[in-house]
Amino acid sequence: MKTAQAGTLESMDCLVTASAAERGKGIFITMEGANIARFRDSILKTAKATLQELGIKDVVLSIQFNGANDVVLKARVEAAARTLMGGEE
Amino acid sequence: MAVNAVGRDIPSSIPGYKDDVVLFRGATKRLPKGNRYGKKNRTTFFTKTDKTLPNIKAAIRESGLQSGMTISFHHHLRNGDYVVNMVLDACAEMGIKDLVIFPTALFGVHKHLTKHIQKGVIRQIQGSVNGPIGQLASEGGMELPVVLRSHGGRPRAVISGDVKIDVAFIAAPTADKYGNLTGAYGQSACGSLGYAHTDADYAECVVAITDNLVEYPAPYIQIPQTQVDYVVQVDKIGDPAGIVSGTTRVTRDPMRLLIARYAAKLIESSPYFKEGISFQTGAGGISLAAAAYVRDAMRKKGIKGSFGLGGITSFFVDMLEEGLFRQLMDVQSFDLAAVESISRNAAHVEISADWYANPWNAGCMVNMLDTVVLGATEVDRDFNVNVNTESDGALLHGIGGHQDTASGAKLTIITTPLLRGRIPSVVDSVYTVTTPGEVVDAVVTEFGVAINPRRQDLMDAIKPSKDLPLVTIDELVEKAKKLAGDMAPIEHTDRIIGVIEYRDGSVIDVVRQIKKK
Amino acid sequence: MMALRRTMLYLPGNNPNMLMRGHLFKPDGVILDLEDSVSLGEKEAARTLVRETLKNVDFGECEVTVRINGLDTPFWKRDLEEVIPWGIDGIRVPKVETPQDVKLLDEAISEIENKHNLPEGKVQITCLLETALGIWNAYHIATASKRVTAICPGGEDLRADLKTSRSENSEELVSPRRMVVLAAHAAKVDPLDTVFADITDDEGLRRETQWVKQIGYQGKSVIHPNQIPIIHDVFTPTEKEIAQAQKIVQAAKEAAEKGLGAVSVDGKMVDRPVVKRAEYVLQRAGLLEGGE
Repeated sequence: MKTAQAGTLESMDCLVTASAAERGKGIFITMEGANIARFRDSILKTAKATLQELGIKDVVLSIQFNGANDVVLKARVEAAARTLMGGEE
Repeated sequence: MAVNAVGRDIPSSIPGYKDDVVLFRGATKRLPKGNRYGKKNRTTFFTKTDKTLPNIKAAIRESGLQSGMTISFHHHLRNGDYVVNMVLDACAEMGIKDLVIFPTALFGVHKHLTKHIQKGVIRQIQGSVNGPIGQLASEGGMELPVVLRSHGGRPRAVISGDVKIDVAFIAAPTADKYGNLTGAYGQSACGSLGYAHTDADYAECVVAITDNLVEYPAPYIQIPQTQVDYVVQVDKIGDPAGIVSGTTRVTRDPMRLLIARYAAKLIESSPYFKEGISFQTGAGGISLAAAAYVRDAMRKKGIKGSFGLGGITSFFVDMLEEGLFRQLMDVQSFDLAAVESISRNAAHVEISADWYANPWNAGCMVNMLDTVVLGATEVDRDFNVNVNTESDGALLHGIGGHQDTASGAKLTIITTPLLRGRIPSVVDSVYTVTTPGEVVDAVVTEFGVAINPRRQDLMDAIKPSKDLPLVTIDELVEKAKKLAGDMAPIEHTDRIIGVIEYRDGSVIDVVRQIKKK
Repeated sequence: MMALRRTMLYLPGNNPNMLMRGHLFKPDGVILDLEDSVSLGEKEAARTLVRETLKNVDFGECEVTVRINGLDTPFWKRDLEEVIPWGIDGIRVPKVETPQDVKLLDEAISEIENKHNLPEGKVQITCLLETALGIWNAYHIATASKRVTAICPGGEDLRADLKTSRSENSEELVSPRRMVVLAAHAAKVDPLDTVFADITDDEGLRRETQWVKQIGYQGKSVIHPNQIPIIHDVFTPTEKEIAQAQKIVQAAKEAAEKGLGAVSVDGKMVDRPVVKRAEYVLQRAGLLEGGE
């Protein structure tokens, strides 16, 4: 599949959209949302760490942020990335 | 630069504010000097029995208003107000500019003023800013800093002569031709005119603007003819839907109710929960919900209170009528029930802002208050409170009665969720200080209640339980940090765009310009 | 100390707000839900979110359970695999109908416990009995495994299976509720009642809770935090009840010390069951150790 999403725009959540990227293109992350300036670095760090854990080297992530903390962010990035890569069962 | 008593760096001179800035040294440190300011003597001969003028422009002309002068307004019409915008529009059309406007508060409806700021009609705002105006000021769009004062600090500034009002424009829901004013009647009724009294007493020229001119003399006079110079009748001074709300309902939001329950339990466990208790509550949210729980406890224990204070809603009116208070002291009426009650019930008393909260008189109402439940944007380890700036550093809220009630009340409770979204409300150090920690007694969050260590007496009196989980302020700060994760600091320049005065006229903090959005 | 299960608050598994903060309302237990509150398209994301929540959130004193998807879905096994490793107290299973269902679950859980070196048998099972067959088999389901520590009657699903509709006082659920409460006590597991759907009707909730308490239930499932204080209030003995219970227990203690067979309170004879009930009241009020 070409894109996959996880999460919502509700309070304390984020909507992560993962899109397939060509092999070798690397990781490209964009984000927007309330107070995003203060959390930009932190979000990038967590998103990248999560992708690394999953062994994903090439992906485009778009994050719509509404106050999600690290726990939620990690879960959403993982779910979106996993579904993109082929999902379960 | 020098450091004040809450550790903030304040310059000794701030252009557009003062050349000799007084630093905040503590809640009870600054003593008044000199006498009260007085307006010029005047006479109105018995040959004149009609002060009405045909329109606002005529009143502006008669008042002698010139460019560069200071004009004032009250905010009893809240977000339904038309008067501030009408007066500024008239000034603009008449070529008057560089005005200092001195409202008791501004609301969303006043975003209309943005164009007057940009065109130079308004040079400075000494009063709260919010919405687009707040954002404009925060990003450096005003030449002179915004000066914020509390409900008590504003009359202090006028009475002591720090601020001289040239023309006060008083929106009057009902007026007669000789200048008797009342807020209790009329299509735009607002109840108490508490915030207008100081302006009526001290402004050089007082212009009343009404949409309900009645036979002389008007009923239930709140501001008498002796203080009013001119009267103008217009079609509408405001929109009733924005002036008063219907019945005030207690929130059903579970998180707010949880925090409210803890706050109420704190009050009930304190030495102040006894016959004759007095308290102040907000118009809604956590504060009102806490009051509802306290009221239930009062009913259960058969306790009758002495007075309810502040912004009055149907909730307090019901308590008065039920006999749970002997009197209501009303500086602002929020809903229809309060408006109706004020002129009907002698136990429902209108008070001025001076009476309510001015620290420089023979004793204001907040001094007699047992407990108050207040909100906050931020609280820090020293229990300092910020209600003025938002998480991006934008100046978007006024002080209101925060400093006054917090200082006066024997038990000051700050309620706040630990985080709003991902932004902590309990932090190492607040971005700007509104109210100093020395007058704050407890912080109540959904994660527990922190009592200020200064209050050993409270800590001794209160036993922790499942209904009242006690924590330290440091534990709350750490918990908030852990949940929020890493955050970049607020980016700002050195330029001062706002001055936060403490109620005694000293400067407790300043607000600096932030980057444009 | 007898574990209280007066309120079990459902936390929708795809809702970060409730997952992160639900425990702050101090229910006796939280149920992280992967089933009905999560739509089909969200099942994967919810499972991941619930797993991360279990790993990172401290639920305080709440009992922590996860409602997995039913055995008739393709999700339940993955649900177990994702949540059990993180130290949960139990799982809640929808639409249990036979003791075989329970045995299947028991085995699946044991496998995962072993794989992750967790103490075997720790994860408990709460069975939701949402069909006529499930209700009929209640006692056998409750005794099918040591892991089963609670059974609950269904609500809407049960009505559907009974081919009836919701009435004002839920007449159609009276028999199922009674059957479940009997089976539970016979099997020595907790009977926990179903949710009260109208979150604005405080009085209706109070009435229903009072009735189910009277017929023997230990608690209710909760779908909104505002329901918690009301249910706790109903299940908490009043000061009067506590005082009376203390009197009875004291009298029984004195009788035992004096070697007397009969216990007397206020001049009246008090039977052994009455003493037992008084002890139970004090346990409920947190004033007495013990209980099963």
